[in-house]
Amino acid sequence: MRTRILTILAYTGAALTLVVAVCVPFVLMGAFSNAVAHAGLHIDAAYSGGTVARTIDRGRYTIVVYQPVEPRLLERIEPFVQIVFEPAESLPAHVSDEIDLDGDGRPDVRVSFNVPADANAPLRGDVTALNATYISLTNVAGESFSRMVVRAGKQIVVRIPLHEGPARR
Amino acid sequence: MASRSSALARPPAFRGVGRSILLTLPMALWSLLMFTPSFQHASGDHYIGAAAVILFMTGLFFLMMRTGETYRWRRIFFVALGFLFPVGFIAALVAERGTMSIPISRMVSGDTPFCFMVTPSIILPAAFARTVIFPGSILPTASNPHSIAIMIGLWFALTLVMGKAWCSYACFFGGIEEGFAALPKRRRLHRFITRFGAQLRLIPWAILVFVVLVSAAIFEPVYCMWLCPFKAVTEFPAVRNVETAIQMVVFIALFVGLVVVLPYLTKKRTQCGFFCPFGAFQSLFNKINLFEIRINREKCVDCGLCQTSCPTVALSKDSIREGKTLLNCMKCGACVDACKKDAAVWHLKGTPVAAKPERARLLFLYGTWALATMFGGSVLANGVHTLIGFLPLK
Ligand code: SF4
Ligand code: SF4
Repeated sequence: MRTRILTILAYTGAALTLVVAVCVPFVLMGAFSNAVAHAGLHIDAAYSGGTVARTIDRGRYTIVVYQPVEPRLLERIEPFVQIVFEPAESLPAHVSDEIDLDGDGRPDVRVSFNVPADANAPLRGDVTALNATYISLTNVAGESFSRMVVRAGKQIVVRIPLHEGPARR
Repeated sequence: MASRSSALARPPAFRGVGRSILLTLPMALWSLLMFTPSFQHASGDHYIGAAAVILFMTGLFFLMMRTGETYRWRRIFFVALGFLFPVGFIAALVAERGTMSIPISRMVSGDTPFCFMVTPSIILPAAFARTVIFPGSILPTASNPHSIAIMIGLWFALTLVMGKAWCSYACFFGGIEEGFAALPKRRRLHRFITRFGAQLRLIPWAILVFVVLVSAAIFEPVYCMWLCPFKAVTEFPAVRNVETAIQMVVFIALFVGLVVVLPYLTKKRTQCGFFCPFGAFQSLFNKINLFEIRINREKCVDCGLCQTSCPTVALSKDSIREGKTLLNCMKCGACVDACKKDAAVWHLKGTPVAAKPERARLLFLYGTWALATMFGGSVLANGVHTLIGFLPLK
């Protein structure tokens, strides 16, 4: 009797597996993807740059300032702050901007770079720290996740490392 | 039904042509259904790619029905998948960005396609910090259709049906080493592998635990950044300093050693059996999958042919004595086809062993081959379409 019940259950399960297989391309794949999409996940700030703090309007273009990113646990990145210049096509051939990163009304860094007409041409830039919280960068491109001036599609992404320790506020 | 002979010798017909066609018909219709959208492209190359895949997948299924063998025909599909995936993937990368390397700018803009191999590494940070430690995007974008949600959804749906058979019917990486393992006539290092099989089988589990814990501690996909042999034939972080240069050397060394040289020497899938942490992770799903391979003790003469034929050492003397395969069995069918006594059999959990092995095989193959056609078939079609593009026809 037990064998019979188990056999019936097994074949029912096998039939269900077949039904699931048929549903994969039409329903299930999408349903599982939706579940992941709505799970409240976000990309680690080392890659995404973190959350936006505010935007600064410069007329032809906008500067998006992000919250500072701190390494977690044993994460091997320096603390940094990301700023994004967009859209890259509207930037002048040379950008030199003094930017208030912490929102206290005073500039914290000067960022300068040339914008090549060719979007695929290499890009390098300089960051001058105007106070002790930030670290200056010279002729930087995509050196690390905490130090970069790179073109990413329609944006110029700049990441400025922050001093660890006493210089931080 | 005639009994099967060794996988090497050509078996007598197992089933008549008519019955084989009848059993193949649902798969032929499924293939058409899966690739009908491709015909709407109306471009010659796409049309040829899709038509070739329909014929290929349906033809192989017919041969499985006709001969009663699984491994030989599945291997043809799987090796084609392994070699055509990099063709399509690399060609697309080079066409788009001119190189196989991922510049840091693409990582920060979330443009890295998600690879299912990273899945175990991202679980703990996702569960406890809601953070995905991968430079991709959660939702698909114009520049990255292979988003994390899409790829995990696809992997999970396939895994529900296939379990660890993912490693025999879906993973294009496994197909590459199965190709190299198929080349030599002689097996080398066989005694070593048999003697140390138990220890070798533990390595993927050790790497899995290491990768999961260290990834969670340093918030980096450790396998992806340091250990993936397949970076050598897909994409890899652009070399920008000593660390990324070392990573590059590691990727190439692992690929050459584990995916090319050792499979060629041993005729085993050494990377899959003795290294891949994702393969170990995937083994866990064998627990919830209804299909398995069993050894019918009443027929088994302990000749060890099944053990020798197993590409990932998923059989041991003890497990054969217990009539079972080990947890890492990927349901490739090599042992079933190799067994001259019909003792290694397909089995549906819950039913008496060896009662209806062919029924179990059919039920397993319909679900698994259908998804192999959907997923692997689209990879094959893309590869064929890319290859046609290289031909000086126009
Ligand atoms: S063991 Fe790893 S590489 Fe091999 S088939 Fe499975 S997932 Fe792919
Ligand atoms: S035990 Fe048999 S079916 Fe399982 S992996 Fe080994 S040869 Fe393939």
